[in-house]
Formats: sequence, structure tokens, C-alpha cells
Amino acid sequence: MTILPTLKSLAVAAAILASTSAFALAKDVTINVWAGGTGPNDVYRLDAIEIAAQQLQRQAALKGEDLKITVEKKAYSGWDDFKQALTLAAEAKTAPNIVVSGHEDIAPWSQAGLIVPVEDYVDLDAWPLNGIYENLLQIASYNGTVYGIPQDAESRPMFFWKPYMKAIGYSDADLDALPQSVQDGKYTMKNLLEDAKKMQEKGLVQPGYGFYPRTSNGPDYWQFYTSFGGAMEENGKLVFDKAAMTRTYQFFADAVKAGVTKKNHIGMPGDQWWKEVATGKAGIWDGGTWHYARLVNQEGLKDFFANVIFTLIPAGEGGKANTLTHPLVYLLTAGHDKEDTDIAAQLITIASEPRINALHAVKSAHLGISEAESEVDFYSADRWTREATERLLPHANAMPNNSDFGKYWNIMWKNLEASWTGAKSVDAAVSDAESELKSTLGDKIVIR
Amino acid sequence: MKSSRKLGLVMIAPAAIMIILFFLLPVVLTAVFSMTNMTTATGISGGVYQIAPNSLITLKSTMPDIAAELAEPRYAIDEAGLKAVEGLGLAPGIAAELRAKHAGEVFPTRREAERMIKDLAERPSTRDVKQISEQFNRSVVNTRFDSKEELFSALDTLGLKLTPEQKETVAQATYTGWTWTTDNFSRIASSPDMARVLLNTALYVALVLTLFNVGYALLLAIWTHYMPPTPASIFRGIWLLPRITPVVIYVMLWKWLAWDTGFISVLMGKFGYPPKNYLLDTAYHAWFFVVLINGFIGASMGMLVFSSAMKAIPKSQFYASEVDGASRWQQIRYIILPQMRWPILFVTCYQTLSLLASFNEILLATNGGPGNATEVWALSAYHTALRNYAGNLEYGLGAAMALVLVVIGVTLSLLYLRVFNYGTLVAKPLIED
Repeated sequence: MTILPTLKSLAVAAAILASTSAFALAKDVTINVWAGGTGPNDVYRLDAIEIAAQQLQRQAALKGEDLKITVEKKAYSGWDDFKQALTLAAEAKTAPNIVVSGHEDIAPWSQAGLIVPVEDYVDLDAWPLNGIYENLLQIASYNGTVYGIPQDAESRPMFFWKPYMKAIGYSDADLDALPQSVQDGKYTMKNLLEDAKKMQEKGLVQPGYGFYPRTSNGPDYWQFYTSFGGAMEENGKLVFDKAAMTRTYQFFADAVKAGVTKKNHIGMPGDQWWKEVATGKAGIWDGGTWHYARLVNQEGLKDFFANVIFTLIPAGEGGKANTLTHPLVYLLTAGHDKEDTDIAAQLITIASEPRINALHAVKSAHLGISEAESEVDFYSADRWTREATERLLPHANAMPNNSDFGKYWNIMWKNLEASWTGAKSVDAAVSDAESELKSTLGDKIVIR
Repeated sequence: MKSSRKLGLVMIAPAAIMIILFFLLPVVLTAVFSMTNMTTATGISGGVYQIAPNSLITLKSTMPDIAAELAEPRYAIDEAGLKAVEGLGLAPGIAAELRAKHAGEVFPTRREAERMIKDLAERPSTRDVKQISEQFNRSVVNTRFDSKEELFSALDTLGLKLTPEQKETVAQATYTGWTWTTDNFSRIASSPDMARVLLNTALYVALVLTLFNVGYALLLAIWTHYMPPTPASIFRGIWLLPRITPVVIYVMLWKWLAWDTGFISVLMGKFGYPPKNYLLDTAYHAWFFVVLINGFIGASMGMLVFSSAMKAIPKSQFYASEVDGASRWQQIRYIILPQMRWPILFVTCYQTLSLLASFNEILLATNGGPGNATEVWALSAYHTALRNYAGNLEYGLGAAMALVLVVIGVTLSLLYLRVFNYGTLVAKPLIED
């Protein structure tokens, strides 16, 4: 009679064991994704991972695994806060699994061991990663290792308000030819300042609104340096070209002196700037391809193509017309369970498929990451993405992935702002930048 | 006696722990960080040794042959690797096929080696491919070594004949972490921008302190002293509002007032003036607003301290002076001010220190602009250590800047105590002798 309870407990134990072995196949994973510089038009940076998670769960189910992925998303609208939060979280070992950030972070973050090479986890020869533009993959690499998967591409064009260009004498044919003549170096920075001045003299725009550049620090300003013949990096070493930097600083000082750009332009409220360029208060300005989405979706500029024409950044003295691509990349952070990182890597791979990535490209007016994406009808049917891809992307440069570039950038920007506002003369700003670069970076930068 | 002393130590222990943890330690840590070249790129917790093409650039000039040798990536299908693959527990056909078809081959990059592995008859999964290729990795490129010993033993297995000095040079060139240095201080001393920031700070503290925190506060206290009690309280309450309003909202109100779409621009527009950003129009404008914003917040504390100090002055002195025919000015000069010495010392000293360290109002209003005109030391330290568009935060330099501020603060406090003769304040009253 005593055998029954023993049997009973054995049966219960067996049942428990059986149930745990069934659960052994089940896996609950939480993948955290953070994205910087992400406004309402860029939500697919995060949502694409969610879509990918559904796909991966289905794939797992077919293999008989019960995989449940929870994606936790966090969008930062700015960059400074995001980079501060991410760096400190990573140092405290609480970084998210996936980070969407600018490619220029790869150098410092990989050196510090905050991120792991994505190529350790994915097959770069398999679709869709083998279709990503080779130059974008290069930009996502450091030390010959692929650290990130490009999440988007963009370029930073010069925008002109068409009605004002017509009012100062450009015909429709001239305007249609403008992108080409900028590309050929026939329309230069000098012409740009002259046109801006004409717009003001005719009373089309108020003083200071002829040329209305970006109001804060950003990659845009490196385009002007390139435009005036500067190089950022050569053979792995940073380059400070004094003559080119002088011409760059001088250009903005001249714009202020001519009254076409405001002396106090830097630091003005961003919302005000957006409103003004969308309503034709400004004549000529620079920005990113993604500005199209904001101008059309949030700022109420309905008839974009009737009002705005866009080109490369015109050539200045000593340089050539150019634009800069600043792809955001999906990065995998260090310090996580290898299995989780593996799942995160698979999610990034799926999110890079042309159809999913096209959702981001079209919604946010960024550019696609692969040839196949431009063949997706949904993408190519969109006039903006099609024209911007064709006109700009072939001429795009990128900032270097160099762990010291941030220091260089700070010094360059600080002195540009000082010469712009008249706090320093152009020569003093260049010479201050030179001496600070020497004491900060030593032989890690070539000064010429 | 002995036990009471012990009890005293126990009683004071919580306070001592708090002081060490929250007051002393941050300063000590700042001092420690300031002696390093710590940035985002070097990490905080320490570095590793990584022979990356980038870190070999410096080595190229001194040891070109060794740098070239080190930078060579190699994937060799050798017996050791094949044995290791067999030990991975994968399908046995994989190792067998590798041995039969590819033994002895060398691939210059991992990607090429992996392409070969993916072509095997029993195609492994991506994860297995990575594992297999790693067994044949015969280079040290981009491998992270936690210690020098690991790095040196890897160099030895590579067959490189290096002297201990050469090894040390390689270790130095490939170290990714921070090192001890005094460079931060020489950078601070030699940078023309730092001198400018220091000057800005002196100007900011001097203007806000004299015009508002002490001067205007004293004026307010005297005004309200001569008012009937109820209006005086209401008046003081109103002056407290900037202090109790959240800083972000308070600065937003100023911006709303001074922006080119703001109140002043709209008002001036009625008289035909074009709108402009009064806050950032010129350095003078920015300074004007920075001083006003901080001054209106800071004046209230001095006002409260001075008012209560004035209340402590015996009324009889005022009555006596009125009987003697003293004017208000004479009362202020001969009764109030001489007795305000210690409150003024306290407010001056306290506000100097808090102004030196304060930057949030400036950050929100001008962010140091235009053209760094209102960049003060504390804001600059914050920008250096915790804000960088390119994500490379310079903790070491930022800490050095913060330390300079601590030194200035301590020096100024000692100076104030000396000037105001603190010794007599804390001297024992004569009556107790």
C-alpha cells in the first residue's frame, strides 16, 4: 500500500521534469534598441527591429523552437543627450543590445570595447547584407572590420527657394540646369553669396535671410571645408588644411559681413528655423535629404518641388562640389549574453531587407542602403528618394572613422563659431585651432 | 572619559561617512581623473591591448618591419586548427572535408576563409562558420588581449623575435586604455580659449555677485525694512518667485521675451524695428541677459538673509537715532551696514562659490554663445566632459577643468575669511573668560 504515494510523487516529479524539458526549447529574449536623432519620421529605425522580431519568431517556430522576442525601444530626439546616455550606460554595463547611431561613433566606441564587430555574428556574403552598397559598408568599418550595418544613407544638399531665384532672373531652364552646373563647378559658393545678396536687395527676403545655414553644430560644416579644398583624413591620419579652413571660416565671415547671414544665427531656436525655411522666409539654405520629410509632413510645405530646388554643395575656391553622407548604423553592444547578441544580429539582418528598409527610407526621406532597395517599386515610385539618390549619392563623402575625430571636430567648430560671430578674426581662429590641435593631438594630425 | 570619547566617535561616524562619501570622494575622484587622458575612446574602466591597423600607424615610423608583420591577417588551415575543429562537436564530415581538400591553404582575410567554409558539402550555419574560422586564425590583428602577458605570449607564438624593449614599445602603441598624464593641465595653461573662458567666469561672478546677489539684495532688504510688515512680506514673496520657478521654465520665459519672435521683437516691430534675437544678437546682449537671469534668481537669498539680520538689530538703536535727528541714509550708513558685516561675508562667500559652479541657466539660455562669448568655466567643463556631438567625451580634461574650479573656490573662501576677519567672528565672547 505504501507504494502508491511513492508512485504518485514519482509521477509528479516526472511530469515536472517533462514540463521543464518542454520549456527548455522555449526562449524568452528581450532585445533593447536605442536610436539617436530620431524624430516622428524616423520611427522605423526602431520599428524595423520589431518587424524583424516577428519574422525571426516565425522562422524559429518552423524549426520547432519556441522563441519569444520582446523588443524594447527608446528614441532620443537629439544627439548630445543620446551619446551621453549611451556612453555612460555602456560603461555601467547596462547598454541596450542594439544601438542606432552615427558611423563616426564606431572608432571611439570600438576602441573602448563598448561595441562588438557585427561581422562576428552575421554572414556578410548572404542576402540582404551582400547587397548593401560597398561604400556604405566601408563607412561602417573600422580597422578593416565591419562593426555596423548601415541603417540608412543620406546626403546634405543645398536648397534654393525657386520663386526667389526666378525673381532675381533665373528662367525655368536655368533652374533645371542648376544642379548640373553646380556639379560641374560652374555655379560656385561665390555665386551663391551673390544670389543671396540679390534676393535681399530686391526685398524678397529680410536682411540675414539670404543664406540661412544650419543653426547648430553638425556634419554639414565639414562639407564647406571639403568644398574649399580641405581633407579630413589621409592614410589613417587626420588632416588640418590651414588654407582650406581659412577659406571656410572666411566664407561665413564674409556672409555675415555682406549681411546675407545673421551674425547671431548659431544657437537660434530650431523650430523657428524650420518654420522659416518651410515658408519661404529664407532664400538659400543647406540641410539633409531627410529635411524633405519634415518640411512636407510637419512644416506644411505641400508643394515642395514647385518651391524648392536642391543641388550638391557648390564648389568653393580650391575645392569641388560635394555632399556628405552620414549613414546611421546598427551597432551591437558588448557585455551581453552571446546568444542574445546573436539574436540581435539576426534582427538587424532581417531589418536590412529592402522592403523593410524602404519603409524607413520613404517615411523619413533618407536614402536606401542597397541597389535592390532602389528596385523596390514603393521606393523608386517616390520622387524625392529617387531624385536625391541619383543626383547626390554618387558624389557623397563621409567623415572619417577615427577615434580622435571628435576632438578635432570640437576645436574646428568652436573656432568657426568664434570667427562667424566676430569674436575672433578668421586668422586668429585658424591659428588658435592650429595651436590647440597641436597640443591636443600631437602627431596624430597632419597640419599643412 | 575614555568611553565617552569612544561614544563621541560612534556618534559622529554617520556624519563622517557621509562627508567622506558625498563631499570628499567626488573631489578626490575628480583629482584622480584629472591626471588621466580618459575619454570615451579609452573607456573608464581600463583598456586592453589591441593590434589594430589604426594603432600601428605610430609604430610604422619606428619599427616598420614589425608593424607590417603584425598587421598581416592570416587564416591558415593547419593541423592544430583542424584538431580544434574536431573538438567543437560539429558534424564530423566538416573537419574531414577541410583536411582532405584544404589542408595547408592560407587565406589573407577571414571573409575569404569563411567563404571556403560555407562551400563545404555539409554547409555549417553562420554561427558555426564563425566558430570554425576562428580555429584557423593565425594573426593577432584586432584581437583584444586583456594583459601584457597575453599579448607577449601571442607575439611569441607568431614567431616574432622581439627584444623586451621592442615588446614594451608594441604594448605601448597598442594599448587602448587611459594613461596617467599631466597634459590636461598644460593644455589648460596653453590654450588661448581657456584664458578667455576664465576671464568670462571672472566677469560673470563679479557682475552677478556685486550687482545682484549682494548689491541688489541689500537694497531690497533695506527697502522692505522700512516698509510696513504686510507689504514687505508680499514684496519679499514676489522676489522669491524666480528662485522657486523651475529653471527650465524660467529661462523659457526669458527666451520668449528676447527671441526674434518674442515679446521685445513684436513690441519694437510696432515702432518699425525689424525683429532680431535680442538674446544672442551680440556678446553684450547675451551678457546682459545672462546677468539678469542669474541675478534675479540669486538676489532673493541675500535679501532673506539681510532682512532677517536687520530684524535682529535692536529697535532702540533706530529710535535713538531718530531722536538725534538722523536721516534714513545716516541710519543705513551708521547703524545697518556696520552690523551687516557678517551676513555680507556669508552671502558673498556662499554666492561666489555657487556662481563659480553654476552654469545651468547659461546652458539653457545661450549655451555659451554667441561664439563662446558667455562660455564660463563650469559650462566649459561640462561641455568637455559630457557633451560632444561626435560622441567622444573628454572625461580627463573635463575633470582637470573641474579641479581648477575647486582650487579657485577654496582659495577664494580662504581669502574672504581673511579679509572679513573670520577669527573675531568665532572668538569666544569676553564674558566667558
